[in-house]
Amino acid sequence: MTKIDSITVDIIENALKNSKDEMDVTLFKAAMSPVIREQHDCFPMITDAEGSMVVGNFGSHVPEVVKQFPEGVQEGDVIFVSDPYTSGGSVSHVNDWMIILPIFYEGTLVGYSSMFGHVIDVGGPVPSSMPVDATSIYGEGVRFPPVKLFAKGVLNEAVIAIIKANSRTPLENYSDLMALVASCRTAEKRVQEICSRFGIETYFAAMNAALERTNLMMRDLITKILPTEPVSFEDFIDDDGLGNGPFKMKLTIWREDDHAYFDWTGTDPQSPGPINYYLSEPMFKMFIGSFLISAFDPDINFNDGFYDVLHVISPKGTLMNPEFPAALGCRTHALSRMFDVLSGALSVNAPDSSPAAGYGTSPYFIFSGVDAKGEKFNLMEVQYGGLPGRPIGDGLDGHSWWPAFVNIPTEYLETYYPLIVDSYKTGTDSGGAGFYRGGNCNEKLYTILADGIVSIHDDRALIQPWGINGGEPGSCSSKTLIKQDGTRIHLASKIDDVKVEKGDQILFITAGSGGWGDPLDRPAEKVQSDVRRGLVSKEKALKSYGVYLDDYLELDEKQTEAVRAKIKVDRGTLESFNFGERKEQVHA
Amino acid sequence: MYRVAVDVGGTFTDVVLQNEETGEFFGTKTPSTTHDQSEGLITGIMKICKEQNVDVNDIHSIIHGTTVATNAVLEEKGAKVGLITTAGFEQILHVARSWTPAPVSAWMGFLKPEPLADLIHTAGAKERMTAQGTVHLELDEEDIKEKIKGFYDQGIQSLTISLLNSYANSAHEERIREIAEEINPDIPVSISHDILPEFREYERTLTTVMNSYVRPSMQLYLNNVATKLANEKVESHISIVRSDGGLMSIEAASSRPVHTMLSGPAGGVTASAMIGNQTGYKNIISFDMGGTSTDVSLTYNGVPKVVRETLVGVFPVKSPSLGVVSIGAGGGSIAHVPLTGALRVGPRSAGATPGPACYSKGGTDPTVTDANMVLGYLPASLVGGEMKLDIEASKEAIKPIAEKLGVDVYAAALGIYNIVNENMYGATRVVSVEKGYDPREFSLLALGGAGPLHANAIGDLSGSFPVIIPPTPGVLSALGFLQADIRNEYSKTFIKLLSQLQTEDVVSELTGLGDNCDQWLAGEHVPANQRTIKYEADVRYLRQGHEIPFEIDLNKLKEEGLDLIKNRFDEMHQVAFGFKMDTEVEIVNVRAVAIGKVDSPKLPTVKPGDSDASKAIVDDTHEAYFDNAFQKTLIYDRHFLVPNNRITGPAIVTQKDSTTLILPGNVAVVDENLNLLIQREA
Repeated sequence: MTKIDSITVDIIENALKNSKDEMDVTLFKAAMSPVIREQHDCFPMITDAEGSMVVGNFGSHVPEVVKQFPEGVQEGDVIFVSDPYTSGGSVSHVNDWMIILPIFYEGTLVGYSSMFGHVIDVGGPVPSSMPVDATSIYGEGVRFPPVKLFAKGVLNEAVIAIIKANSRTPLENYSDLMALVASCRTAEKRVQEICSRFGIETYFAAMNAALERTNLMMRDLITKILPTEPVSFEDFIDDDGLGNGPFKMKLTIWREDDHAYFDWTGTDPQSPGPINYYLSEPMFKMFIGSFLISAFDPDINFNDGFYDVLHVISPKGTLMNPEFPAALGCRTHALSRMFDVLSGALSVNAPDSSPAAGYGTSPYFIFSGVDAKGEKFNLMEVQYGGLPGRPIGDGLDGHSWWPAFVNIPTEYLETYYPLIVDSYKTGTDSGGAGFYRGGNCNEKLYTILADGIVSIHDDRALIQPWGINGGEPGSCSSKTLIKQDGTRIHLASKIDDVKVEKGDQILFITAGSGGWGDPLDRPAEKVQSDVRRGLVSKEKALKSYGVYLDDYLELDEKQTEAVRAKIKVDRGTLESFNFGERKEQVHA
Repeated sequence: MYRVAVDVGGTFTDVVLQNEETGEFFGTKTPSTTHDQSEGLITGIMKICKEQNVDVNDIHSIIHGTTVATNAVLEEKGAKVGLITTAGFEQILHVARSWTPAPVSAWMGFLKPEPLADLIHTAGAKERMTAQGTVHLELDEEDIKEKIKGFYDQGIQSLTISLLNSYANSAHEERIREIAEEINPDIPVSISHDILPEFREYERTLTTVMNSYVRPSMQLYLNNVATKLANEKVESHISIVRSDGGLMSIEAASSRPVHTMLSGPAGGVTASAMIGNQTGYKNIISFDMGGTSTDVSLTYNGVPKVVRETLVGVFPVKSPSLGVVSIGAGGGSIAHVPLTGALRVGPRSAGATPGPACYSKGGTDPTVTDANMVLGYLPASLVGGEMKLDIEASKEAIKPIAEKLGVDVYAAALGIYNIVNENMYGATRVVSVEKGYDPREFSLLALGGAGPLHANAIGDLSGSFPVIIPPTPGVLSALGFLQADIRNEYSKTFIKLLSQLQTEDVVSELTGLGDNCDQWLAGEHVPANQRTIKYEADVRYLRQGHEIPFEIDLNKLKEEGLDLIKNRFDEMHQVAFGFKMDTEVEIVNVRAVAIGKVDSPKLPTVKPGDSDASKAIVDDTHEAYFDNAFQKTLIYDRHFLVPNNRITGPAIVTQKDSTTLILPGNVAVVDENLNLLIQREA
């Protein structure tokens, strides 16, 4: 192999990072589904010739998919896939459409670019294609096993025809698919330019070196932070939308030398409903890697270089490794809860470096029907919530746990959909108290302007996001339908086919998040300014933080000192984790 | 009569004086006065008048690029801003767009800056407009009156009003402004419909709050300027440079300072376009490399591109500017080797103090300038330079880097030089490749003190030849101001499908905006024959999220109808994304741009010589490091170069405000306007 200096590696790595950013830009501009172009539910990646991710936001899935083509891949091929089961969990529900494009330079395969995005509707019984009561993947819309959308440069028109026939939003899907391809082609051009600039040998050597660097750093990190004795942590998903639950997720971790082990044994059996998460092993390794890097050493470059030092054990037939044809549509609860469990398990050995638990899912508001002009509409909006209190500061209020997602402007919603947003804010007191406060939830109130049906996807309506190192838990989520006559109807966190009439209101509240560290140590001035900003109530300031504010919200230092001293005595020793009312909800 | 341009930078205030009859120009510099920029401005004007023996009363206009507004934001020294939103949306800046960075889990390390208007100073107005511009809830005037009084009691210095859907109907914003001005006419009020009448409430609110935040500083500053000029009995007309390179009056700048956020860099872009037109290389990527940051921009076919969103610090501000991409790398950027063993340059910078190690002002960190020093690219004694540079200090600074990398100090220095070039090259790609332009069809133009040292290398990476080094790279921005036209924009969010429209609808909207332009130009005393109005529309396929803006010829539109828009858009979409769609096309914004032509005298040409440049050689023994070895590298004095002179690389050209490096395998030729044009040797 060509020997390569580390500066050239840096240059090539930076050039690839720029290319990855260009992929996003191309997609946002050309895609149509708001969830991709306004909210950025999409993930770019560039890999080496073996399919290991060199730059990207999630983990690599390329090898699983490519090996399904016995004839191999040729120049001009573009692979399209949306089926979790025949792609080894590369995508985790059928709404995620993935493009994989092999990149050739002067006839040699030099890597792959890949992008996946959440398209708005792929057929099936309910608009947006994530029925909360699906009991098998056959009820979740049209699936595409890996197929060549382009074979040697020629578009497979049959695929387009099938898409258009199966979706409620054929135009959007077509545009999104072509935008995914355009985005991967952007990366293709850049990689070819880099190869022509440096030569193919140097390019390969640089990628190997980049992967190797990360591998070394990760071994070092594992030795520093993981325990040699196994430690376990559990958290729960409320329910599966069919009345079953809560579902336990249990993770045990340890290290042997500089190799790390992650064991899901003890996790509940798979659900009859759609909350199962068909977790691809490489994807999970990537999640772990990304978490470790973010928590412990953000200087490490994020790539696939550390695969061989992480080992995953995941028993078949469980929530995290369900058997075909389990339904998978609503897997975001398990996907994000997985990080809460990971954080909890890691904190046993490194409590100061781990955050609390967050809103812990991807809440969706889905509203469809026919507007006054007779036009069909189908809105899917991703909502956000409280980000956890963390080692470096407060959790953010009403922010996205998902990387680079953004909210949909109210003015956009009101222009294109028959609704009015009456208010959009974060919920006072919903973030758990802590030295670093947990982030507050989202509270959004809509007035419906056309009859239609609503679907809701959320979790943490029963089981609170826990606090850590003395921090308090965050609040639960809730949804309310307010009829025109003022009747308030509580809605489950996972529900389809809610009939709404013109003039009805929906109050959509997501979960908050846990606090980090002892709230009594939080500087009183910070608590005071949270109260003045309306983020914490005067009452909670007193009760949880021991901060006494008068009627003008001026700080009474003497009283504060006294109150804090009293709370300290009354409460006794602080536990590492504060699960709130979890015990009452978990009948195990 | 004379004109003078003043560019206030972080370290120096550049002044350029131009004789309007002959076109001749002269430049000078004076230290910037950061506590009150107007002092440096006056000192600079008086200095150049004295140097050139010109009576200040012969200056009939002053064109001024200012960083007052930008600095207020970057240094967090703006006003205490009050914000009025629609009730229920008070947390709009607090939640922003809910964005956190990639990859997954990166939110753990994400520190978010405080908004420019504190939630404590934000209040909701009980009112509501619909997206269609109809009143959904009448404004509660009594309630808002009390809230504004409360704000003013708390010492609010500048008020913002930004209500939902005000782009469609601004009546409530305007009424609240009246109420506020009745309560206290001295507190400036900015309303979002005035500043940015386009949809997407967060961006509109942010931009308007930014305007409020910088407004008192700007007003104070402009008052100081006026007072100081009056004290010196200078009666020139003064114009302020906008971010989009146009000019605005003092009054306009006082009420809409957000339009001056990139005032300084705009001069560099305008000047680059001018030099591009002068040399015949009309496609220009310009890069302006200073001590702490580098601004890159693109000019296509002689016309700089106007973009509608730009980053000020971390805030995405929607205001027209000349598409400058700023990266935090410059001559002062510090190199380091983190645990991974990778060589990184920046983002930390040694700034003006302590500066690079070789400045002997107490700096010990290895900077890009030190790398240039060690490599011999920057000669130790500069022609006309006020300081001698300490090469040993540079070597000491770079030694630790070399040790960590396991190479000698020269290889380490070359590594630093290459990495910083790669970062700059990345920035040139953002403005070119990412926007669909092939950098190989462009020339690279270097400005700023440090630009010409790196220009040849970056041109090599991007294939942008010739690399152009203008005669005065250090004061080029100020020179650019002299080329500026008077400019303003009127826009409106429209959001209509082409199929719902008649040609006349679009024509009448555009004509209406055009009338606003015409009135504004008349108000700015631009004679009718020097007024131009351009029309634009931002267009997309229905349900896309991003619009493609393009110019519309009003007469052609009248003739060809709306098909003109549809066809043009399809074509542009095909070029940008490789596909077009058989679906509805939607107009999102319409816009008219007012341009008042300012007569700019031509720059003079110089008597040519021949290809022999040997008269300009000032050092024939100097050596510099390329490709793992030192090579003989002649040093030339720019002052003695005349048109047609030819210099073969490796070579160094020094001048008062900059140093140019010509790499081995390249040749520089002096053109008739004294630009250095560097090409790869055939």
